[in-house]
Amino acid sequence: MSTAFMLALFALAVLAAIGAPIALSMVVSAVAYLLVSGQDLSLASEQFIQAVYDSTLLLAVPLFIVAANIMNVGAISDRLLEFCKALVGRFKGGMAQVDILVSLIFSGMSGSAVADAAGVGQVTIKMMLKTGHYTPGFAGAVVAASATIGPIIPPSIPMVLYALVSNTSIGYLFLGGVIPGLLMTLTLMIMTAVIARRRNIPAEAAVPLRQIPSVTFRALPALMMPVILLGGIYGGATTPTEAAAVAAFYALLVAGILYRSLTWSALYHVFVDASRSSASVGLVIGSALIFNYIIATEQIPQSLSVFMTGLELTRGGFLLFTMVLFLLLGCVLDATTIILVIIPLFLPTANALGIDPVHFGVVSVVNCMIGLITPPYGILLFVVNGTTGIPVKDIVKEGVPFFCALLASLILIVFIPDLVLWLPRYFGYEG
Amino acid sequence: MRQLLTGLRHFTDGVAAAMLAAIFFVFLVQISARYLFNFPIGWTVEVSLTLWLWLVFWGGGFCLRASDHIRFDMLYLSVSRRTQRVFGAVAAILIIAAFAISFLPTVEYVWFYKIKRSNTLGIRLHYVFGIYLVFMLVIMARYSAILWKFLSGKEQVEGPIVSYSRIDEGAIK
Repeated sequence: MSTAFMLALFALAVLAAIGAPIALSMVVSAVAYLLVSGQDLSLASEQFIQAVYDSTLLLAVPLFIVAANIMNVGAISDRLLEFCKALVGRFKGGMAQVDILVSLIFSGMSGSAVADAAGVGQVTIKMMLKTGHYTPGFAGAVVAASATIGPIIPPSIPMVLYALVSNTSIGYLFLGGVIPGLLMTLTLMIMTAVIARRRNIPAEAAVPLRQIPSVTFRALPALMMPVILLGGIYGGATTPTEAAAVAAFYALLVAGILYRSLTWSALYHVFVDASRSSASVGLVIGSALIFNYIIATEQIPQSLSVFMTGLELTRGGFLLFTMVLFLLLGCVLDATTIILVIIPLFLPTANALGIDPVHFGVVSVVNCMIGLITPPYGILLFVVNGTTGIPVKDIVKEGVPFFCALLASLILIVFIPDLVLWLPRYFGYEG
Repeated sequence: MRQLLTGLRHFTDGVAAAMLAAIFFVFLVQISARYLFNFPIGWTVEVSLTLWLWLVFWGGGFCLRASDHIRFDMLYLSVSRRTQRVFGAVAAILIIAAFAISFLPTVEYVWFYKIKRSNTLGIRLHYVFGIYLVFMLVIMARYSAILWKFLSGKEQVEGPIVSYSRIDEGAIK
C-alpha cells in the first residue's frame, strides 16, 4: 500500500465520519490519491463518467426503483395484504406473519429492501399497532427484518452490483437467491410464532375458506408479477435489464388500468421520487467504482490473496472470516459500498480457494442485508424510524431474536452451498 | 429570489423525471421492436445509457437535497451545533477544493472527446460527457453557498440538527 493510498483512505474515513455525502467523499479522496501519487487529476472524473456510462447492467437499477415505487403507490400492496391475511392471519401473531409473507411476495417484485420497508412495511406496522397486541418496537423489528428478504429473492439491485464487480451471470445469481430467500422467510416466521405463543398475541379473525378463491383472484395480477419477471429472464426472452423495464410496465398496467388506482399526478411524483433515488444511488455506485479503480491500481486484492492463501485458510474458515467481517462492516457501512468496494478485495482469494462465485455472491448479499438492520448504521432501522417515528433503540431491542433467525439462515447457506446452487444448476449453471 | 429558486427546483425535478421516463419508454420500444415486430434496433441502448449518465449527474447536481444523499450521519447528528458547523465547513472546503483542482484537467479530458462520435447516433462525445462539468460546477456552487452560510452563521437552525430533513425544511438551500 502506497502512502498516497493511505492518505486517500484517511481522507475518506474523515469525510464520511463528519457526515459528507459518501459519493462526494469518494471523489475527494480519489482526487487526493491522484494528487499525491502524481497522476493526472482528470482520472477521477474519467472513471466516474465511464463507470456510469459503460454498463447496460446498471440501467436495471433505475428501472427496478420505478417498478417498486409504482407498486407502493398503486393498490397492489393493499390487495396483497388482503391475500396474505387470508392465508396466515388465522395463526397466533397473525399480523406479524402477514407482514413477513407480504414482504416475501413483494420481494419478488422489487429489488430494494428500503422500498419494501418504506412502502408496504409502513402499512403493516400501522395494522399491527391498530390491533393493540404488538409493541411498536416489535412491529418495527418485524418489518425491518422481513424487508431484508427483498433483495435476496429476485429481482435484486445488490445482486446486480455484485454481478458488475465479479463478472458473474446475473441470471444465475437471481436464481441462487430464491431458496435462501424462502429460508429466511421460514426462519423469521418460526421465530414470530415462538414469540407470539410466549406473549400470547392473538390471531386475526380468520377469513372464511370459501372467500379465499375470490381474495386470491383479486390479488392474482399482482401475484403474477414475479412469474412474468422470472419467466422473461429464464425463458431467454429478455435480458435482466429489459425484465426490469417489463416489470415496471406491468406494474403500471396493473395499478393504472386494472386497479385504476394511479392518477397522473401520482405517476408524475413516482417518477420525480424515483429519479431522485436513482441519481443518489447512481452517484454512490459511480464513485465507489472510482475507488475500485484505485484499489485495482494498487493491486490490493492480489496482495490480499497472497497473504490469505499464506494463512492456509480452509474454504469454511475463509467464508466464516468474511462473513464476520461483512457483518461487522455492515454495522458501520452501507451495503452498496461493501458490495462495490470491500467484496472485490476478497474475490481473488475466494477464486483461489475454489469457492463458487454465485455461492459467494448470494452469501455476501444476504450478509450485507443483515447489515441493514444492525446498529448503529442500519438503513432499515432509520427508514422504519423515519416513516413511523418508532424509536430506533426499541426496534433494535425487539429485533434481536429476528437477527438471530436471519443469522441462522445465513449459517445454513454458508455451509450448505447446495441451498444456493441447486436451482441455478437445475437451470444449467455449470459451477 | 425564493420564488425563482422554487421555480428552478420544479424545472430541474421535472427534467430528471422526464429523463427517467424516457429511459423507461426507450426500453419498452427496444423490447417491443424485437419481440413484437421482430426488428431489433441498436440505437436504444445508446440513448438509454446517455440518458442514465445525464440523469445521475443532472439529478446529483440539481435535484438531490441534503437528506437524499447517502451518508453516515451518526456522529454528525449527535454532536453540538457548534461542532456541526465545523464539520460542515470542513467537508464543504474539502469538496470544493477537490472539485476545483480537478476541474480544468476534467475540461481537457471532456474536450478531448470532441473528435470522437458515439457509436450509433454519432453524437460528439464531449456533449455527452459535458454533463459532468455541469455537475462539478453545480456542486462547487452549492457547497460554496453552504460554506458561506456555515461561516456567517446564517443558517436558521435552532439547536443541533437531529435529522437532515430539518435542513431541507429551509435552513440551508
